[in-house]
Amino acid sequence: MRDHPIPILRVGKTLLVTIQIELRDTVADAFQEDILSEIERMGAPGLVIDISGLDTVDSYVARVLVDTGQMARLMGTEAVLVGMRPEVAATLVRMGFQTRGLRTALNVDEGLALLGELLGRG
Amino acid sequence: MVYQHLTARLRFDEAELRSRREFFELHDEDLARLARLRPFAEKYMDDIVESLYELILGHAESRRHFPDQATIRHVKQAQREYFLGLFAGRCDLAYVDDRLRIGLAHERVGVPPKLYIGAYARYLRLIFDRLLHEFESREEFHAAQQSIEKLVAFDMAIAMDTYIAAFVDSLERHQAAVRELSTPVIQIHDRILLLPLVGTVDTQRAQQVMERVLMAVVEHQARIIIIDIAGVAVVDTKVADHLLKTTEAVRLLGARTVLTGISPTVAKTIVQLGLNISAMHTRNRLADGLKLAMTLVDRPAAGMADDALVSDVGGDQ
Repeated sequence: MRDHPIPILRVGKTLLVTIQIELRDTVADAFQEDILSEIERMGAPGLVIDISGLDTVDSYVARVLVDTGQMARLMGTEAVLVGMRPEVAATLVRMGFQTRGLRTALNVDEGLALLGELLGRG
Repeated sequence: MVYQHLTARLRFDEAELRSRREFFELHDEDLARLARLRPFAEKYMDDIVESLYELILGHAESRRHFPDQATIRHVKQAQREYFLGLFAGRCDLAYVDDRLRIGLAHERVGVPPKLYIGAYARYLRLIFDRLLHEFESREEFHAAQQSIEKLVAFDMAIAMDTYIAAFVDSLERHQAAVRELSTPVIQIHDRILLLPLVGTVDTQRAQQVMERVLMAVVEHQARIIIIDIAGVAVVDTKVADHLLKTTEAVRLLGARTVLTGISPTVAKTIVQLGLNISAMHTRNRLADGLKLAMTLVDRPAAGMADDALVSDVGGDQ
């Protein structure tokens, strides 16, 4: 069924996705599809995407990540992008990449804690 | 400077060697001619080296580089080997390597180029004076003299390269040290970092600041970084823009920036420039920035840029 090797795990009510391979454009699209259908299937209130394994993130992949977060949000799932590396952040900012609306956290723990706070509050 | 740095910097390979030998017109026949002079070299080696050191040790400034008898014995022996090396009849990468090490040794003990070149001038006179009596014909003497001059010039070029490479190397190390000192990121509290910026912030420095800040945030897993710009001489559009970019990059990592030391002038500049400051936590005094950081630090993550101002106001009450 899946044509990408990125596992989508379930931690409590949260979906946890750890990306450890370089995302090529086609993989990125399949990955987005898969997350959204998993959200639909499970009705998870939270999503954590861990990109600490990525050395580089090009503008297309960055766009897919931000879009996925916003799409998840529209479906009622809070998404947090965690573990971005310094060089990736610097590159995205230098490119002038627009990231408004993107939730971020230092690592998976922090991401889960943030979701806990957001969802507990809501 | 260490030998590995020198070779990495000079990148002396076969192509470079060929190119140099071509330009110095140092041909195989020159090397063969020098090899034939080996008996001459062995005969006058001690004489020439002793006479060379009369000049070197008889000069007050030059003398200082040779503090004791052991050193003098050592350098004289090295000089004899160097001298014979000129008449070995080869000029390959191993030869270059040997010359690089010699150049490095000169640089390391602080012999300045003027002394090196001055001593070399006498060295050549000593060699030529003795060479003159070796040959019957003027042509033969002339050919030998030219071959020696070519190889000596080749050697001197390598020595100069070594001096320059060592100088550039020390310059770069100093620059790195200054950079390090100019962006001191300090951990001032659990998960709170402080970067006091002082002096002039140009584009290059602003980029260093961003890199250092991002690395430090991840390394310490800090939730807050306070950047104090009270000591920054001029905050213009560029500086303000860099600070905004740094703030944004820090947010992408999942941390927050608190900007302090915003003077009335800087506040005016930022507003008049029409910069979007909604994502920034700012304070006039560092002490207030620290207080703000303490209230923000217990929240797990940065959340969205749009939340920033709201949580700022809420947290500060």
